[in-house]
Amino acid sequence: MLKLAWRNVTQRKIRFALTMLPIVLGVMFVVAVFTLTDSLRATFSGLADDISSGIDLTVRATQEFGSDLDRPTVPDSLVPAIEAVDGVREVHPGVAAFNVVIVDGAGAAIVPQGPPALGFNYSDAAFFLVEGRQPGGPGEFAADVDTVSDNDLAIGSVYAINGPETVESFELVGTFNFGSPDEHSSLGQTMAAFDLDTAQRFLGFGDEVIDVGVVVEPDASPATVKSDLEALLDDSYEVITQQAAADEQRADFDDVLSIFGTILSVFAFIALFVSAFIINNVFQITISQRVRELGLWRSIGATPGQLVQSVLVESAAVGAVATVVGAVAGVGLSRVLMVVLRAGGFGLPEGPLSVRPRTLVLAAVVGVGVSVAASLSPALRTRRVAPIAALHPDYLLDRTGMRRRLVGGTATLAVGAVLVALALFNLFGTVVTLVLAGVGALLSFVGINIVSPAFAAVAARVLGRPVAALMRVPGRLARDNAARNPRRTASTAGALMIGLALVALAAVVGASVTRTFVKTLENSVEADYFVSSSAGGFNPNAGFPVQVVDDLAALDEIDSVAGFRFAFGAIQVNGSVKDVFAGDMSILDEHFDTDLRSGAMASGDPATAIALHVDPAEDLGVSVGDTLEVTFPDNETDTLTVAAVFGDARIYGNWVIDTSTWDRHFNRSDFAFASATIAGFSDDLDAASQQRLLDESRIAIDGVLEAYPTVQAENRVEFRQSQQAQLDSLLIVINVFLALSLIIAFAGIAITLALSVFERTREIGLLRAVGMTRRQLRRSVRWEAAIVATFGAVLGVAVGVVAGVAATVAMPDSFVTDIAVPVGSLAVYVVISALLGLLAAAFPARRAGRMKILEAIAHE
Amino acid sequence: MTSSPVQTLTAAARAVAATKIYGSGDTEVRALDAIEVTFEQGRFTAIMGPSGSGKSTLMHCMAGLDTVTSGQVIIGDTDLTTLSEKQLTLLRRDHVGFVFQAYNLVPTLTAIENITLPMDLAGTTGDKAWIDDVVGATGLTDRVKHRPNELSGGQQQRVAVARALAGQPQIIFADEPTGNVDSNTAAEILGFMRNAVAEMGQTIVMVTHDPVAASYADRVVFLVDGKIVDELHEPTPASIRDHMTRLGA
Ligand SMILES: Nc1ncnc2c1ncn2[C@@H]1O[C@H](COP(=O)(O)OP(=O)(O)OP(=O)(O)O)[C@@H](O)[C@H]1O
Ligand SMILES: [Mg+2]
Repeated sequence: MLKLAWRNVTQRKIRFALTMLPIVLGVMFVVAVFTLTDSLRATFSGLADDISSGIDLTVRATQEFGSDLDRPTVPDSLVPAIEAVDGVREVHPGVAAFNVVIVDGAGAAIVPQGPPALGFNYSDAAFFLVEGRQPGGPGEFAADVDTVSDNDLAIGSVYAINGPETVESFELVGTFNFGSPDEHSSLGQTMAAFDLDTAQRFLGFGDEVIDVGVVVEPDASPATVKSDLEALLDDSYEVITQQAAADEQRADFDDVLSIFGTILSVFAFIALFVSAFIINNVFQITISQRVRELGLWRSIGATPGQLVQSVLVESAAVGAVATVVGAVAGVGLSRVLMVVLRAGGFGLPEGPLSVRPRTLVLAAVVGVGVSVAASLSPALRTRRVAPIAALHPDYLLDRTGMRRRLVGGTATLAVGAVLVALALFNLFGTVVTLVLAGVGALLSFVGINIVSPAFAAVAARVLGRPVAALMRVPGRLARDNAARNPRRTASTAGALMIGLALVALAAVVGASVTRTFVKTLENSVEADYFVSSSAGGFNPNAGFPVQVVDDLAALDEIDSVAGFRFAFGAIQVNGSVKDVFAGDMSILDEHFDTDLRSGAMASGDPATAIALHVDPAEDLGVSVGDTLEVTFPDNETDTLTVAAVFGDARIYGNWVIDTSTWDRHFNRSDFAFASATIAGFSDDLDAASQQRLLDESRIAIDGVLEAYPTVQAENRVEFRQSQQAQLDSLLIVINVFLALSLIIAFAGIAITLALSVFERTREIGLLRAVGMTRRQLRRSVRWEAAIVATFGAVLGVAVGVVAGVAATVAMPDSFVTDIAVPVGSLAVYVVISALLGLLAAAFPARRAGRMKILEAIAHE
Repeated sequence: MTSSPVQTLTAAARAVAATKIYGSGDTEVRALDAIEVTFEQGRFTAIMGPSGSGKSTLMHCMAGLDTVTSGQVIIGDTDLTTLSEKQLTLLRRDHVGFVFQAYNLVPTLTAIENITLPMDLAGTTGDKAWIDDVVGATGLTDRVKHRPNELSGGQQQRVAVARALAGQPQIIFADEPTGNVDSNTAAEILGFMRNAVAEMGQTIVMVTHDPVAASYADRVVFLVDGKIVDELHEPTPASIRDHMTRLGA
């Protein structure tokens, strides 16, 4: 039987290549994703070692909970005591802040796209001077070599720098490499460094520092120094080794990489799953075409089991060859992606590609596994081939009955839907949720694919009606051929369905989020301007100087300005960790209507006030006037009084504290966001007065913001547009990631059609003989593809809309409350699919057109 | 048998020194060897000859499905050797009918759709009354909505002949149209073709190995090694058999 399998492989080269294509693409993507993330991980790991290499021990405050950003600080008065410990050679107290943005000579803010803009104190343990000198006074700074050269900064010139609190001017006195003396370890971030006093003041640390780095004497043992330090300090401090610091740094990088890798892998596996559909289809078709040959094998004594085996061996061979090709292509792709990422300003350090054995093993398992799994059902069908098939030219394999199909498919779909529902309601951990969602989606798609042949013929006829009406015979043939083999049409369309379902799902969720946002803006937002910073990107804490809010509030045209900050997992109430939002509670209610159930944000003393959503309020059994014990990341606990209970969590989330409370407990001071109200503005004014107030305030605001090039203020209309634009670009990114699945799906249409055309050779010869022109023939093949593609697209959009609505319903109300189905863009997706279907058919259509009439007629 | 004068009849199709060579060098096959033949309008001609004598090749070249290596093929006033591939396609569609031995019909189309296929491809409606007549003559009026797989082999061949007739082409070529059916069915098909010539004035050229089938024709042309070696007018099965024996001898 091996021989039979091998014969099939070698004799049908084109078909073999066509079958391989989808697996090659899938394996290529998997290998590229893993190689890329492994290579990045190796590079970052080296970088983590570099960054930590200059410091032997680090002294810092212990932290019970919360993000590293919110770690309690260390008073700098501790530094001399540390320095006095035996064996300590150098101490390096350190401060750092995000969103420290240098303004270049032309007045433009230097904002990296993605990586952060950082401010530090200059430390010769990690910074290595290249030109000029170290910053040594209140008006001086140094910057990393890349930022200086990329933006044409000059030593000796004075630049404005946006800090967390103010904007000040500093003279550039030097440039440095970060991480190692010879090479700047840039990840695309910008770095401004000041002397310690200046950094503490400008970055908002007062007399505190984040940590104190220690370099020990060459003859001292770091372990001894460590225990001496621990003996010196109370247990609100800890001392970590160089190794531990490097590991933490690595873990930080790893967190980002894992998210990145997981997202990419999900898309890679979607692509493989789509490939499985195509492979299944190709084997299904080729086995129908080979029924006579299989019958011959049966009649000369091959057992049904041997036939099954030969198909499986053949598919394993296809998978193996495809794996090799795909793995090679995948390594190539990862190299290309690396270059693209570097060119995209992510400042990745150079490093070798890391192709790990694990990646190759996975590729083989996935490539061969998918291929064999996808050919299982067609292989089992060969058992039904009777020896008599050899003698009957028109012998057809009996098909699965429609009733069995409907029952089996619906059951599979139902199980899948239940799993997805369980995942949506998020009853389990993240991993379980992901697995449930994945397996559930998989089963749902398989179920739909089992059922869909039941209506594929009808659907193809309906969708083909306009084509038939418009294009006469070619159109009619296109329609009839699409309806001719419902199973084939259904699984070809099925591959496309998956991609489109995901596209539609994202579109529905996106539109729902937008609608929720717009409604919130219309109904719950009283503010007229929204202030945000262009600095930020991957850094979740995009921010701008506190001073912006004061400057805007000082304007006559502006009534009040509220600056906001938030932190994830940064407060602890009754033992559980919550996200927190901080704003000026005395004016919050003038800016946002959060459906107050009782009390008011401004009631009581803001400094000891807290407001919360009704759900946690009910859970905790607290109401206005009650007190809550709230613990902060600096390990301090405050007793706060409930000032308000609100019903709408879309704007602040569940927990709100006052700016002053934040300032007591957090060392980050820049605002993430601010809102402003226009003086004298009200909905009762006539349009002309409203416009006048808008225009006047705009001029005044722009005047203030000239000094803050990272900051922009948007009115309601602009804010809505920019939020919409952000969401749209997110959807585009998702669609780009899904592009591979879509490409495979369209390749599937081309492959299936090529096989169908081959199957219909004689018929095509006949059509040409009685006077069908090549053009008419090509057109007919192309439109058949368009009909199949449209069927897949419509099915996918339908599935995607259902899934999208379900997902929207399941999402928390603080995120999305209104459901919207973007009919227009979904229709565009369907039309684009039809057009791509036409395009995909170019190859089979050309093959059909090139057939020699007489040979085609003589073809068996 | 004596020949009757043919000069008064106009030619529907002619081959002039038509030569068809397959392959080259050692493997060269001269399927048609400077053949000269004329098919007159309104007549039913049968072509006979041993296997491999070039009958199918002649049909294909005359119908514009294939091209001759040298010489000329003329349908009406048109010299096929001057036409492009596209023009040949349109000629087949509008001026030539063709009936193959089997698999003549497009499986996804109904009988009537198959019959009107060339006209539909041309985007014309054809002569409605004529098509009704043709369908009536097939005796399949109540089955025209059926698809080919619901028709018997003989019925399928009649539909194929009807398709060839429907567009009122200059000439119809049929390559062993009864080669795959039993003698009763063959009689049905041959009778139908005979009628088309006698009553509708069609011109038909048919390849056959069967003397009985050939006897339906007005004239029988004998082909050996790509050349016309003999012909017979107003044939009967007996006279044809007689000729064949002599040729074989
Ligand atoms: N495509 C081709 N390539 C090479 N040789 C061919 C080709 N088609 C036909 N021939 C050769 O040309 C000669 C004539 O073939 P043709 O098919 O015309 O014979 P025929 O008279 O129709 O025979 P039959 O009665 O068996 O149908 C034969 O020797 C055949 O082998
Ligand atoms: Mg022949």
